[in-house]
Amino acid sequence: MILAVLFANSDGNILIERFHGVPAEERLHWRSFLVKLGSENLKGSKNEELHVASHKSVSIVYTMVGDVCLYIVGKDEYDELALAEVIFAVTSAVKDVCGKPPTERLFLDKYGRICLCLDEIVWKGLLENTEKDRVRRLIRLKPPVEP
Amino acid sequence: MPRSLVGGDLAVPDMAQPYMKKDDDDEDVEYSPFFGIEKGAVLQEARAFHDPQLDARRCSQVITKLLYLLNQGEAFTKVEATGVFFAVTKLFQSNDAGLRRLVYLMIKELSTSSDEVFIVTSSLMKDMNSKTDMYRANAIRVLCRIIDGSMLTQVERYLKQAIVDKNPVVASAALVSGIHLVQANPEIVKRWSNEVQEAVQSRSALVQFHGLALLHQIRQNDRLAISKLVSSLTRGSVRSPLAQCLLIRYTSQVIRESSMNTQNGDRPFFDFLESCLRHKAEMVVLEAARKITEMDVTSRELASAITVLQLFLSSPKPVLRFAAVRTLNKIAMTRPLAVTNCNVDLETLMSDQNRSIATLAITTLLKTGNESSVDRLMKQITSFMSDIADEFKIVVVEAIRSLCLKFPLKYRSMLNFLSSSLREEGGFEYKKAIVDSIITLISEIPDAKELGLLHLCEFIEDCEFTYLSSQILHFLGNEGPRTSDPSMYIRYIYNRVILENATVRASAVSTLAKFGALVDALKPRIFVLLRRCLFDTEDEVRDRATLYLQTLGGEVAVGNNEKDVKDFLFGSFDVPLANLEASLRTYEPSEKPFDISLVSREVKSHPIHEKAPGKKPHATAVAAATPAPVSAVDSYHKMLSSIPEFSGFGKLFKSTEPVELTEAETEYAVNVVKHIYDSYVVLQYNCTNTIQEQLLENVTVCVDATDAEEFSGICSKPLRSLPYNEPDQIFVAFEKPECVPAIGKFSNVLRFTVKEVDTSTGEAEEDGVEDEYQIEEFEITAADYMLRVAVSNFRNAWENMDPESERVDEYGLGARESLAEAVSAVINILGMQPCEGTEVVPNNARSHTCLLSGVFIGDVKVLVRLSFGLSGPNEVAMKLAVRSDDPEVSDKIHQIVASG
Repeated sequence: MILAVLFANSDGNILIERFHGVPAEERLHWRSFLVKLGSENLKGSKNEELHVASHKSVSIVYTMVGDVCLYIVGKDEYDELALAEVIFAVTSAVKDVCGKPPTERLFLDKYGRICLCLDEIVWKGLLENTEKDRVRRLIRLKPPVEP
Repeated sequence: MPRSLVGGDLAVPDMAQPYMKKDDDDEDVEYSPFFGIEKGAVLQEARAFHDPQLDARRCSQVITKLLYLLNQGEAFTKVEATGVFFAVTKLFQSNDAGLRRLVYLMIKELSTSSDEVFIVTSSLMKDMNSKTDMYRANAIRVLCRIIDGSMLTQVERYLKQAIVDKNPVVASAALVSGIHLVQANPEIVKRWSNEVQEAVQSRSALVQFHGLALLHQIRQNDRLAISKLVSSLTRGSVRSPLAQCLLIRYTSQVIRESSMNTQNGDRPFFDFLESCLRHKAEMVVLEAARKITEMDVTSRELASAITVLQLFLSSPKPVLRFAAVRTLNKIAMTRPLAVTNCNVDLETLMSDQNRSIATLAITTLLKTGNESSVDRLMKQITSFMSDIADEFKIVVVEAIRSLCLKFPLKYRSMLNFLSSSLREEGGFEYKKAIVDSIITLISEIPDAKELGLLHLCEFIEDCEFTYLSSQILHFLGNEGPRTSDPSMYIRYIYNRVILENATVRASAVSTLAKFGALVDALKPRIFVLLRRCLFDTEDEVRDRATLYLQTLGGEVAVGNNEKDVKDFLFGSFDVPLANLEASLRTYEPSEKPFDISLVSREVKSHPIHEKAPGKKPHATAVAAATPAPVSAVDSYHKMLSSIPEFSGFGKLFKSTEPVELTEAETEYAVNVVKHIYDSYVVLQYNCTNTIQEQLLENVTVCVDATDAEEFSGICSKPLRSLPYNEPDQIFVAFEKPECVPAIGKFSNVLRFTVKEVDTSTGEAEEDGVEDEYQIEEFEITAADYMLRVAVSNFRNAWENMDPESERVDEYGLGARESLAEAVSAVINILGMQPCEGTEVVPNNARSHTCLLSGVFIGDVKVLVRLSFGLSGPNEVAMKLAVRSDDPEVSDKIHQIVASG
């Protein structure tokens, strides 16, 4: 299960968050844990450089895409390797929507479309689509082009 | 700003307002499109959804704002949410694709209550049958989010069709929906298995992945079906690495289950796992390597997986490095030698920028490293420790403690490392981990004692944690006087009296007294210091100082001789604290003083499986046993001594847990408690009559002790009557040779006169019928003569016992189910208390040492060291070393094991 997908700006303010199967009372804990993890490790990190950690029985993969921090948390079959696939799908889609690694402003400008991408990629904690071209078409309700 | 091709542009430029300044340069001002956004205003804007002429672009912008608000944690009241939900459903009228996509998302986000769902179901059903594939896919996903079981049966037909839809997006939507729905409606989803089976053969990689996951969920309880699934897919082609990883997991599950059921060690599909080690996708290779290392494989098979993992250690991708080192770390816990080939790569990873990877590398190295590399390793770790978080540091400290116990000659560099860590910044848990480690090392490695104590003394000079200061002072009091130069510690201890809070001051006073008691040369000077403590502001400190001055000066009753003083200062209570507490609670103040010798010393046994895995139980945990059994033992003692026949039997040594002699829910329920005295055994039969229509009279237990030769019956105490549901006891007493652990088997028959009872009046008939009832037999075993009594420090206790009393022998235990099973069987035969958590055998361990302590009948202390080893497949060999107060008892313990 993908437990959380969370976008935050570099100050730690949440831009988008999606939790799956995480009780409401634990979300605050996760939010602050992830933001702290990012503030300790993402400063000076290269664009899209992957960071990985584990906390209790869950894995966390996180990165910086443009000015935006992205955290993905998973457990069981979604270990660090599967999460790396998920984060790759999400960052590719975000860059595709924004046309480049986004600034915070650009990210907010494309907010609705990024929400749709996320909806196509992760659905209720499961990875559904992975390719950015496919996602780009799906959020416009266009059928994918099968190879 | 570029415009999207679709009508509902999701960009929101007209909302642009000043948001925040990124820096002081006015030209580079950044604006947030959502600056100043207010829920009330957005809800007003949502009225646009009701316009007869829908403006798709405007509606899209409003939905984006609503999504932003929801994502910011803005709470919508029930009325607001319902209002928005109804308004959004109006948007189904628009055929604008971009807007429709947002509507689907919005409905999912609002997660409405079931009484409102009906508003959208018809629209969604329409979309589900639409010719536009994308409408179908999205409608399925939304419907599955909001429907319940009864509605699912209505749409089931469409979902089954969707699973085999030509369009992979539709098929995937239906399959992923199935994965969610199977949790709540397994029976319905199980009916789709033919369609899902077809989807697994799909040419689309993602459909196959989702299909495989769902099919496994549907069939997870059918071992044969899973085996067939694995069998067909391992031969065929799996199209995506994600699906291949699933297949690897299912395959390893099949291998694990089949190896449990077959004795010949066949591992079907193992070749498939090995072939995955050569797959082109890294994630598949890693998954296969992980699964192989989790199995019980040969060294050669393990080596090929480890070689693959080793290659990933130098991957430029941090995720792969992390996954590889995490797996190697796990292997190192059970098979450290297998990982030593990777040591060079692991050492490189110690400087990895990712601290998680570096920590894992270090803790792996600490498990696999050899003696010669310890110093170098310590040097490298020192530079690394300063920039990791406390939780990582604790892991490293614990790994260093294990390493030091493995290579005791290297204690100096490791103690220096731990002591320098103590001086660094860190929280309580981290400092406690270090202090515990140093104390363990001092206790286990005699040479490390003086250096370790000095490090601890330096730490308490500037320690902010009262708990740790007190712990160290207590330890210092026990160990310091026995060092070559005890006087050097006094300064550190007395500084505490001057500088610290009351709790630490009181501990320091006790520590001073211990030095005074053991080191005659220091005694006069300690007296001077203790006298100064008499002027302390705290009662407890003054009281302790007074008590110790009197005791050491030989002026109070307890200090009649030097041994008494030492016992008073150093001796533990010798009774579990919980038992003492329970006895003190029941003590009624009277002329008769409280007698600590009457407090039970038996520790309640803890079934091993109740303990948290990996959590090491320690003395306090054992002492914290519930007081309930204590009062039971006390009450047995009181009850038995009040029966005239048994009052002359002397002190009750032990009362066992009740042994059930009847099945549950039989006519008469009987269990027996064995009360052991030095020369007698009293059997207490607890009987309950569970038949309302019967009254039992003259109830006796006829005990046949022909298989218990050393026991001779002396008296029994039958029951006059046993009415329905009023439990009562029958006692039978036997004499046996004094302090001899006589064993034997007792068969029992319950004899009575049964009378019918009229349940309406409760009166019994006058005439009864004699009858008997066979109950189970039971044994008195050697374990019944052993009290489970814990010792807090096994090593010290062992060394304090006369080595002459030691008896060592080796035993072959034959083929056993596992090492853990063998350990638990021997513990049960001896009935002793496992110490220091040694009853827990790590998984896959090939050898194990278990420490036991107890008190044998005749009040003889016994300590046992059991060393187990596996030879051959499951052949267990055991070395048993016993020390006790009486060498004869050591021999007896061997006899017990030999005959058990």
